[in-house]
Amino acid sequence: MKLNITIGGYAGQGINKVSQIFSNVLSAHGYFTFNYRDYASLIRGGHNFNTLAISDTPIESHDAKIDVLITLDERTLKTHKQALKKNGILISGEQFESLGRNQNVALAGCLTKIFGIPFETLENEIKSQFKNSEEAIIAAKQGYDSQETSQELPKLKNSPTILAGSQAIAIGAINSGLQVYIAYPMTPATNAMHELAENQLENNMIVFQAENEIAAISMALGASFAGSKVMTGTSGGGFDLMSETLSMQGMSEIPLTVYLASRAGPATGVPTYTAQSDLDIALRAGHGDFPRVVVAPGNPTELIQKTSEALFLSEKFKTLSIILSDKHLAESEFSSTEKPYKFPTFNVTRPIPGSSLVKNSSYESDKFGNSTESYTITEENANKRIQKYEDIKQYVRKNFEMIKIHGNKKSKNLIIGWGSTSGAIKDAIKDLDAKFLQVIYCKPLSPQIKKEIEKADKVILVECNVTGQLGRLIREKTGIKIKNRLLKYNGRPFHTDELNKLIKSII
Amino acid sequence: MKIQLDTTSEKTWCPGCPNHMILASVKQTITELIESKTYKQTDFAITTDIGCHAKIFDYINLSGIYCLHGRALPTAIGIKLGNPSLKVLSFVGDGGMYSEGMAHFIHAFKHNANMTLILHDNQSFSLTTGQPSPTTQQGYISKASPLGTADRPFNPIKLALAANATFVARTSAKDMKHMSEIFTKAIEHNGFSFVEIIQDCLIFNAEANNKDSLMYKIKDNKSLEQAEKLAREFDYNSKSGKIPIGVIYQSAERSLEDKWPQLKKQLNLKSNITKKPSILDKLIPTK
Repeated sequence: MKLNITIGGYAGQGINKVSQIFSNVLSAHGYFTFNYRDYASLIRGGHNFNTLAISDTPIESHDAKIDVLITLDERTLKTHKQALKKNGILISGEQFESLGRNQNVALAGCLTKIFGIPFETLENEIKSQFKNSEEAIIAAKQGYDSQETSQELPKLKNSPTILAGSQAIAIGAINSGLQVYIAYPMTPATNAMHELAENQLENNMIVFQAENEIAAISMALGASFAGSKVMTGTSGGGFDLMSETLSMQGMSEIPLTVYLASRAGPATGVPTYTAQSDLDIALRAGHGDFPRVVVAPGNPTELIQKTSEALFLSEKFKTLSIILSDKHLAESEFSSTEKPYKFPTFNVTRPIPGSSLVKNSSYESDKFGNSTESYTITEENANKRIQKYEDIKQYVRKNFEMIKIHGNKKSKNLIIGWGSTSGAIKDAIKDLDAKFLQVIYCKPLSPQIKKEIEKADKVILVECNVTGQLGRLIREKTGIKIKNRLLKYNGRPFHTDELNKLIKSII
Repeated sequence: MKIQLDTTSEKTWCPGCPNHMILASVKQTITELIESKTYKQTDFAITTDIGCHAKIFDYINLSGIYCLHGRALPTAIGIKLGNPSLKVLSFVGDGGMYSEGMAHFIHAFKHNANMTLILHDNQSFSLTTGQPSPTTQQGYISKASPLGTADRPFNPIKLALAANATFVARTSAKDMKHMSEIFTKAIEHNGFSFVEIIQDCLIFNAEANNKDSLMYKIKDNKSLEQAEKLAREFDYNSKSGKIPIGVIYQSAERSLEDKWPQLKKQLNLKSNITKKPSILDKLIPTK
């Protein structure tokens, strides 16, 4: 069972509140939700909408066709009425305008009644959210009583937790004992900074806003040198500015972890929309040859786990780890009952200033840390850096999950994808004869990928970018060109129903 | 125990380059601070930029990072965020700081981290063979500026004061005693201390050299009005004005470490350093 509700209005009307309250009600009622947030780069006005998908089993994507449409303005009706199914329900928010800021609560009341959920579930949610909840409860009741139940959802025993990707990054970092986070605001990476900043004091962590991304990553490198567990985060444009210091990390070998949250580029692009078009820069940004780790989790559970792994690998191998996410993963709200596996814990045990003499350099340097132009040392150091990557590769292969296989494991139809697109793929193949190989570590890349491709009759690449960046990486590492490619690059993620049809047409 | 600040690296500064004297003064200052048990050798961390000045990284046995061009200052501030009890000195040149790193320079005064910026100003990009820097005088002819540098130079002392600097000093690379005195005062300042060293380059932009006759020593100054007046005396462009050297301005404001409770907490935990109270602390007026 899967239902989709779209709630739309102009920015500032509080559509997020409706989906937030109702998601929590559904969680309490035992249902899984996925909330897609579509908003423009403005603070008031325009057109924003959320699509809240509901299911009795775990889901990580939403459909194009919707069952309920809630309109807070005329524009929402015009934009979305085509998407409403034949017997779909339309609710206008106008009838509750007199309730002021409690309009959203009344609309959550409507939804609660439509799906036959007891009023007290909503009441409990409101009481937990609002300090003075009396007026809100009256508004909720008014909304509740205005509707008839159209599809009763029986109470289930699941109790999922709702998390956005940005929250998951923060949880992973805090789990690993992050001490310093330095960033410059840039959508969609900023929410991770907000999450960490809110929790900094109780976790004895400092969240610092630098004057630009160059300063942010330079400061991060300095703080790491001083012995702290450190992370910085940004999106594509900011990451470009950080490139020189990625290279600096390669030479100085000061541990560094960077969170890269992509959006639709190039340049300023479509800033509040999504794309998976920064895999190339994650893999290659920075001049010179030096090792790095690139990991691309696909949902909040994986983000929690892989953020810890990235921080661990940075410290263990004194290397650069990049956690690759995007707007769709960072800002969508997922519900899950999954727990992260056992994440690695660690302490900083390398020599640090204060207790030792430590010299790190942007120059090629000798065993004392002083600059050298010696051809023998230059070659030796280059070999050491290459060897380090071999060590990282062996370690990751042995200890961490680099890929995941979903769907029908015996199927000869193989779908390959990564990151935020994984959710839509998993949901789209539920009724198909297909196997989904989710790539999580992009560097190092799992040798299993080649074997899986060779076993399959039909291989389909699914990505949200123009050139199939993962496909090109796989071709580089395996020599295999994947001919069937489903690529979407209009700033919007795949819808489940849309992707289901596209895959069906190929297999 | 003898303090060993020397390294085995071959010095590659030109013979007679004032950087040799700056290095000697820095070593003297650090040695005194270690000998007086104010700090341990491992309490220091330095960052250096890229340029002739930065070779100091290889010639002094202290922890540190030899940074990318323009980034020595934010990296140094990062070190303070990572461990506020370290004594951090950042060595930069006029090219790297005022061209590539100008945003960092201005913002450093805002953050007011408890550290010292030592700026070697020879009014030239010398390691890259003499292109004009942001403090080069008008009319300077080089391979990169055969028509003569048209722009008026920045006055970094004025910029620093405008950015709410809490410690601004100027010294001369030809006066080792004065350099040491100024470095010590800068290191003891609670907050971000900016020291400009006026330095000749024997090879490039030699016409900017030999400003010694214009220099005169001032008493430590704490008046902003007076500081602004002192800042205007030398415009980096002509040799007509006077060049005041000494502490041009000092004020007491909360440092980065005072502003962030997390850093304060760390400082209290790690305060195994027995810091002597400075006479300066008593003299600084509190706002």
